Amino acid sequence: MISLTTQPIQVEPMLKRLESRHGGAICLFLGTVREFTRDKRTLALEYEAYSEMAERKLAELEHQARARWPILGVEIAHRVGRLEGGEVSVAVAVSTPHRAESFEACRWLIDTLKEVVPIWKKEEWSDGSHEWIHPAPPTETRA
Amino acid sequence: MIAAVVPAAGKSERMGRPKLLIEIAGEPLLARVVTALASGGACPVIVVAPPRSQPEGPPIIALAERLGAIVVAPDDRPADMRASIQLGLDALRATATPQAVILTPADAPGISQLLIELLIEEWRARPDRIVIPTFEGRRGHPVVLPWSIVSTLESLPHNLGLNALIAAASASVHTIEVADRTILLDLDVPADLEFWDAPTAAPGMVVHCVRLFASARELAGTSELEVALAPGGTVADLRRAIAHREPRLRLLAETALIAVDEEYHSDDAVPQPGARIALIPPVSGGETNP
Repeated sequence: MISLTTQPIQVEPMLKRLESRHGGAICLFLGTVREFTRDKRTLALEYEAYSEMAERKLAELEHQARARWPILGVEIAHRVGRLEGGEVSVAVAVSTPHRAESFEACRWLIDTLKEVVPIWKKEEWSDGSHEWIHPAPPTETRA
Repeated sequence: MIAAVVPAAGKSERMGRPKLLIEIAGEPLLARVVTALASGGACPVIVVAPPRSQPEGPPIIALAERLGAIVVAPDDRPADMRASIQLGLDALRATATPQAVILTPADAPGISQLLIELLIEEWRARPDRIVIPTFEGRRGHPVVLPWSIVSTLESLPHNLGLNALIAAASASVHTIEVADRTILLDLDVPADLEFWDAPTAAPGMVVHCVRLFASARELAGTSELEVALAPGGTVADLRRAIAHREPRLRLLAETALIAVDEEYHSDDAVPQPGARIALIPPVSGGETNP
């Protein structure tokens, strides 16, 4: 199941849905809001999604993962809105017959999610500044 | 501290209506200019407004105050732009003297946060210089002037303007070439609006609504932008149309991904009428980001 939610992510129901008598492994990844990045402190994060496209891209990722690994079940949940330090921002869980493929599939899903799913993260730093976190545009084309 | 002075007390005689309240891409011209200055790092932003007794005075004053600018509203309309600038400088001197002042005509719709950031960065590297943006070698606006230079404006003969001040200090001028011809534009006569008007009036054009997210939405100050393309127009044409319609998005319009009907598309794709189009700034990314 794939979901975007403004509510705290509930991991238990996700794992419950992955229970399978053919399964031998469930790999669960949780992304959390990091409070300290080097010397900077994050007060809160705001996630903004292009919901229709994000859900569609997440479903595509699930299909692609199922084509590569012997997957029994996939659960992906992503928070949107304002989150505070320590909160879970994203959960990816994969159930497979053996542990190696659950690790691989889970890792691929979260890495690819971060690259292609239109969800943006805005940092609210403790010094009062705000910043959309994404790769800086090339400086030679500035202005 | 780097302040900005926006002379906004003019009569708009050639435009025939108060031009600073004309909406460009859905935002009054004065709001675009003040927002770009403030978000680009100028503080305070001084707006020299028309007298309250003039019909356009109160709405311009209210708008500038709502945007967080310090408003100077003289009892009599200043004689010219130089007089307006002088009132703004006097207001600065009365509070806290800045290290430099950004001067821009209030009718400069091409001013963006990125441009202001760039100019401030250039000036900080050489704080005794006047910094002027150029496009293909032609000088545009805004201009950053060190306080030591701009504060001598009042000692110039009264028939001379800001250009004379800059000419007198020509050895101090540092120009920075930018890839943006909008720095040369201002709005004086109704025909000047054509560049900024949505080309929706042209018959046969296909109007697309482009959704904006995250940094794009904040830069543009809106979550949707209407652009018009000729039939058969491609994603590459769409990029140009977005940059043209909202100059603050020109950098993202060049570099960001474009989604058509919730799929990423290359520059040669042709969006169909009614397609769902979105500008997708780089997403939050992974471990490689700071």
